[in-house]
Amino acid sequence: MLVFAASDKGGTGRSVTSANLAYQRALTGDHVAYVDFDFGSPTAAAVFDVPGVVRGTEERGLHSYLEGEVNEPARIDVWRQTEHPLLRARPNQSGRLVLFPGDAGGGEFATGEDALERCIDLLLRLNGEFDVIVVDLSAGRSYAVDMVLAATAHPRMRNVPFRWLVFHRWTRQHVIAAAGLVHKEHGIIKGGVERGHDEEALRGAIRFVRAAVPDPESPLWSHGTPAQAAWMQACDEALRRLAADHGIGDSVVLGVVPLEPILQWREQLITEEDVLSTQIANKETLEALEEIALRLTDDSYWGRP
Amino acid sequence: MGDSGPGESAPRAVLACGEVRTCLLPTRQALDIRAAAQFLGLRADERVLLSERPNLYARSPDILTGVDCPLPTANGARVRAVGTVAARAALTEGRVLQTSAHFRLPADGPDQRQPWGHYLVRPGVVEPLGKLSHETVAQGVLGGGRHGELDVGLIADALLTRLLRHPLLDQRPPLRSRPTRLRWVALPAGPYDGPSIERFTLAEDELRTVRLRVPEGTPSAEIAGFCDDLALHDWLLTTVVRVLDGLTLGSQEPPARGRAGAVQDRPAVVRVVRPAVDHLLHLWMPRARVVKDLAPLWEVLEERPGFTRQWQALVQRIRDQLTLHAIGSLYREVELTP
Repeated sequence: MLVFAASDKGGTGRSVTSANLAYQRALTGDHVAYVDFDFGSPTAAAVFDVPGVVRGTEERGLHSYLEGEVNEPARIDVWRQTEHPLLRARPNQSGRLVLFPGDAGGGEFATGEDALERCIDLLLRLNGEFDVIVVDLSAGRSYAVDMVLAATAHPRMRNVPFRWLVFHRWTRQHVIAAAGLVHKEHGIIKGGVERGHDEEALRGAIRFVRAAVPDPESPLWSHGTPAQAAWMQACDEALRRLAADHGIGDSVVLGVVPLEPILQWREQLITEEDVLSTQIANKETLEALEEIALRLTDDSYWGRP
Repeated sequence: MGDSGPGESAPRAVLACGEVRTCLLPTRQALDIRAAAQFLGLRADERVLLSERPNLYARSPDILTGVDCPLPTANGARVRAVGTVAARAALTEGRVLQTSAHFRLPADGPDQRQPWGHYLVRPGVVEPLGKLSHETVAQGVLGGGRHGELDVGLIADALLTRLLRHPLLDQRPPLRSRPTRLRWVALPAGPYDGPSIERFTLAEDELRTVRLRVPEGTPSAEIAGFCDDLALHDWLLTTVVRVLDGLTLGSQEPPARGRAGAVQDRPAVVRVVRPAVDHLLHLWMPRARVVKDLAPLWEVLEERPGFTRQWQALVQRIRDQLTLHAIGSLYREVELTP
């Protein structure tokens, strides 16, 4: 299954959350590929704590692959190459977790049929090898978004299931922007239909993930004054209405990731260790990530009973 | 390593090199022999080799790629070489696809580049400009060349990419598997010696390297045939081992902090092993396509590491697992949904 991670803006936690989802799936035994199509700013290597490639690989990354400069993109076995001490001890019964990094300095680029064919070749090969393929896309209606919309509409990909996750923060601007990215004139759905997607099917394959959402009930905020608490409740309520009005209400939300202090400081994977032993991360964050990871392939969350 | 076909006039080869890519054909159903012929019809002017005994096997005609570039060398020495690399694709039981590229090198070649006609009558021969240290090149090839040097793996991969775009493929592989690469070199054996395997290594996850000695005069297509066979069976072992890795045995109790549903949803034994039973277990047939002169090489592999021994243990394990589950009829009707 292909999972495309999109967002309208940067700073939505798209990369770090989707990397965490990939990690969670690998823990449950799936073989997982994480494909960094965030051409402007490849960050996945930093999240997985892979040295040397922290800003994408020098010359064999996905950018070089799509441009036809190398035949096979570099792949990084995360369990083996990470410097994260906990990840290095690959958990028993976990599946493979392989990162396909971008190139250093590989920005967005204009390209044609060749890159599209190569993109399809890559996605098909990964589909034969991995259970879940998370593709992190540059923010906005980027070239990367267009390319995978075209790729998934191609006849060669007709039997490859895919799903979209659109990440946004829980603020007015982010809600409106995320809805725009999907539903507006130049949005994913219109763009997909132009490339041959069936509108209903594409719409049904898109779910939203609210990231960095402050939970008014959380102990983080419990020291606030009653006035603050009431204000937060009211904001939350207003945002829910706004989201529903823009077609991204609760029924199309796959999950909510609470505001997590460590993720505000540093993009990283949240491990069980962080919650249980060192207790630097919140249990709710890890549970939210685990839950969303499971729902990725749970059809009941995708309108298919 | 002699020459075959119109290459007769070329000097004796001192080194043959090649690389094989092996992968599961990404289709729900295996291709039947007619579909295989259509799939592998890479050239209008030559037929696909089809064979039904002892197993279903189809092989494309050779296609040639002209090359003019430095050879990989272990010591970094620059040896330019010109000629053609032969590549072909094969399909075993309509299920496992292999592309294989190879060439052979004479000890020396003309000092200057010749017109293409000279090279075209020597298919699969790459001639060095000047003298060649074949040992250095052999090590260079196995170690993997640098960017810009002759890379037979790229040629094999390009053919694989081309075939994987074929409209006959529905891109619904029945199980997840990883392609493997097997890189080989063959040097001449001593005058009275038979063929031997000097080294067989599992370098990275998907890369295997083989260093062979073969009697002088062995055609490189025959060496490639042996290496294809080795790569096929190595891939089968690798793939079935990984299928069994996916089994969670025992009580499947959830970890201390309940991971909602994750562990309990681990695929049932039947669902995991069934694709292997349906698509892989009948493919084991070492030496089916190896010429008699090279067959002794398999005896070495059977001795150590013991390919067939490991295979039989895996097959037995799969059968035992299925038997156990047949006892608990609860699992008998599990649907196949990869």
